[in-house]
Amino acid sequence: MDRRRVLALGAAAGIAALAPGRVMAAADPVPVLTNWTKLTLQLVRHTATYSPPVAARAFGYLGVIAYEAVAACDGAMTSLAGQVNGLPPLPAPGDGLHDAAAVLQSALSAGVAHFFSNTGPSGQRAMAAMTRTLNAKVTEGLPAEVAARSAALGQAIAAHVCHWADGDGGAVVENMGFPHSYTARDDAAAWVPTSLVRQQQAPLLPDWGNVRPFAMPAGNACALPPPPAYSEDPGSAFYAEAMEVYTATQAITPEQALIARFWSDDPMLSSTPPGHWIFVANDLITRRQMPLAASVDLMARLGIAMADAFIGCWHDKTTYNLLRPVTYINRVIDPAWKPLLTTPPFPEYPSGHSTVSAAAATVLTAALGEGYAYEDVTHEREGLDARRYDSFWQAAEEAGKSRLYGGIHFRSAIAQGLTQGRCIGAHAVALRTVA
Amino acid sequence: MRGGLVRALGLVLLAAPVAPVAAQTVPQFVEETGASGLAHRFTGEWEYMVGGGVAAFDCNGDALPDLALSGGTAPAALFVNQSQPGGALAFAAVDSGVEMEAVTGTYPIDIDSDGITDLVLLRVGENVVMRGLGDCRFERANEDWGFDGGDAWSTAFAAIWEEGAALPTLAIGNYIDRREEAYPWGSCTDNWLHRPEGTAYAPPLPLTPSFCALSMLFTDWNGSGVKSLRVSNDREYYEGGAEQMWHLDPGQPPRLYTEAEGWKRLRIWGMGIASTDLDADGYPEFYLTSMADNKLQRLADPAPDALPDYTDIAWAKGVTAHRPFMGEDLRPSTGWHAQFADVNNDTRADLFVAKGNVWEMPDFAMADPNNLLLQGMDGVFVEAADKAGVASTQAARGGAVVDLNGDGALDLVVVNRNSPAQVWRNAGPVGTWIGVDLRQPGPNPTGIGAWVEVRTGEHLQRHEITSGGGHVSGIWGPQHFGLGQADTAEVRVIWPDGRISDWRDVPANGVVTVSPAD
Repeated sequence: MDRRRVLALGAAAGIAALAPGRVMAAADPVPVLTNWTKLTLQLVRHTATYSPPVAARAFGYLGVIAYEAVAACDGAMTSLAGQVNGLPPLPAPGDGLHDAAAVLQSALSAGVAHFFSNTGPSGQRAMAAMTRTLNAKVTEGLPAEVAARSAALGQAIAAHVCHWADGDGGAVVENMGFPHSYTARDDAAAWVPTSLVRQQQAPLLPDWGNVRPFAMPAGNACALPPPPAYSEDPGSAFYAEAMEVYTATQAITPEQALIARFWSDDPMLSSTPPGHWIFVANDLITRRQMPLAASVDLMARLGIAMADAFIGCWHDKTTYNLLRPVTYINRVIDPAWKPLLTTPPFPEYPSGHSTVSAAAATVLTAALGEGYAYEDVTHEREGLDARRYDSFWQAAEEAGKSRLYGGIHFRSAIAQGLTQGRCIGAHAVALRTVA
Repeated sequence: MRGGLVRALGLVLLAAPVAPVAAQTVPQFVEETGASGLAHRFTGEWEYMVGGGVAAFDCNGDALPDLALSGGTAPAALFVNQSQPGGALAFAAVDSGVEMEAVTGTYPIDIDSDGITDLVLLRVGENVVMRGLGDCRFERANEDWGFDGGDAWSTAFAAIWEEGAALPTLAIGNYIDRREEAYPWGSCTDNWLHRPEGTAYAPPLPLTPSFCALSMLFTDWNGSGVKSLRVSNDREYYEGGAEQMWHLDPGQPPRLYTEAEGWKRLRIWGMGIASTDLDADGYPEFYLTSMADNKLQRLADPAPDALPDYTDIAWAKGVTAHRPFMGEDLRPSTGWHAQFADVNNDTRADLFVAKGNVWEMPDFAMADPNNLLLQGMDGVFVEAADKAGVASTQAARGGAVVDLNGDGALDLVVVNRNSPAQVWRNAGPVGTWIGVDLRQPGPNPTGIGAWVEVRTGEHLQRHEITSGGGHVSGIWGPQHFGLGQADTAEVRVIWPDGRISDWRDVPANGVVTVSPAD
């Protein structure tokens, strides 16, 4: 995908006109996409199983659902079936008029209900309210038979994608992703639990690297070289990286502390790192009034890239099973040291936020261009001011550095995570969306 | 020290001497819900997924606690305790004046200092203060006391008497804006601080920012004699929130403790606060219920002028209670009401935690048994709810561990959501015990804010007299202390104004009333 392609898709705009006589759009479909995305971000935060990998997976599938719902009504777009791993051809629209907004609304309401079937009562009420509200909007003035036909198509597309999703190995998450037991490896370099939370005495989702990816061929498609060899020798590269974390956190500036907090994106307290990037994309779609086809194209690629990023990252986390800075620094440098951020309950290398941010930056840059300046208002409601970036890569690199300031990652995990994310993101960028 | 006159008024021996109790003796609880006549349900859906409180207090002067239970969509109800001392539990519902709908929580407190306990009814809608008239009858007193009940979804309460005040200061915690159906998140409404102005209440002060409080507690956390207000908040609904503690300096508006003062950001699904001074060092520990792991906080550096910096010792003490300890359901637990109480009278505070799924939350245990964690002599707690017979898997919310039949063995009442409330009689074995009832002239007749200390040999127990905390449930009555095998104990009181009474010997197995010297 390049920027010209997205603009070409944009020309198709809100109504797909390439199938004359079959498609109409009584209501603007873009708000259907952005409203469901906003709600999905809240559901991610408020559904206990939604750790970052699980959230990225949902964004990936919901992105595909939205894309395929719009593509079904737009002859200028081509399906992702046959391109992403294991997705069979989508249900074709039958005869008669379909309404693009109604198809999208039906597909997303069914898709969100599927992926968040385990959310709590507030989420269930919110989904029901959103469904009612948007159903009313998209069907206003629409002939009943068109509304019914469109709803049926949207539901069929959602059911098709959800069935495909159920077989990827990531659909069932128990105990919020933590195995009930874990035996630590007898190795000084090995990850050991760092939390006082009983539930977190085993690594989060240790098999996530085996989940079927979307666009990259396998979980190890962008595998990384090993981190620096573990050593407690003050002259070693490993010691130097740990000392860098220690020194940085001891002398942290207010700006660095703010960066650490801005990108902390803690699960169950935020929409998680992939949610952060989805928020940015959704905000840009709204603020820049992006056309429908370009919007769903962006959301699909972004979700796919980030879902794959967590699969690839977790593959290497499990492979290298490296200890966290707090473990090493307390053992070797300063037993009383504490990181600024809460250390996540899984191995260190590579940095998940770095991998996913680089994957996101790769997709966003391909879609919107190098040097695309924007304002990130993700955490304004949490009381954190907006931050301005000159490019998506500037933001992704800051996200990576934030983990060092926060004391939860070594430099190699960040640098290699960014490299891995760039590689993984390229697979999503390579998907064909123009017929 | 002023005064120090301890009067043992009507020391009543209510039970035959009991056998000595060993450490972590598991008392046997007998469920008597059906036979006792306590037939009540807390019902409702959206607005009643939280709430479900019980107030345990004596409203007819017979020295047995009566029970006022919230009902949600059903009317609240008052059950008069008709149990015989040491006998089976027996209750009878009476028309008391509290029978209104939309009640989420109930707390007993003598607001007008007339010696008759009043009630605060937290509601979805207008909160109501009920003046006790005696003989378990109550009347609305909002207008007489200038109390603005507001219109919110109220889910937390705490009270304290500020120096020189004629009425207690009441803190009320509020939850979600219930009109926000599609986006309830981030819609937490203001908590309120009702401070008296003369003999009536001033308009409530908003405790902004508020983060969906489900428990509040005034506490002398640092032994300074000045109370602060801890607030436990539900992270499910706040944005930018965290656990909170407010300064309540005399004559000053409340202000939050800050990170610069040592207060650390903690974000949990806060649902209940229990406190006691587990190590008798003068600084209370706090148990905070949540989903999955619960927290037990101890000051990182317990000393005069300590910073409010707490260390989580829940795991070390065996009280994370993070998932069901029995049965096949291994999903994380959901904790609500919590209370420290010595259920086997071995001199160590035990811990009861009410458990229950919020409402169709499939990632959390549906069969979630209540916990009864018995503290050993080493300070570590061990689960015993199943052995004790109180491991109900109903969707519990509020509760009270309280001596319902006056035999010195603490019994248990639990309010469940959309299923019947349950009550258990503690059939022992338990050790010896005393109850300490505080009485002082003038305002604050029951000594809220005092500390009671009980010594048996070298072992010291300390209780802070509080009103609030738990999950929408409160107890008013004598402070219960287990004495192990001792047949006497020494008792003294540190009164809210700082006066300290002399140590006095008190025989075991009775209730002693203590007053300061005039």
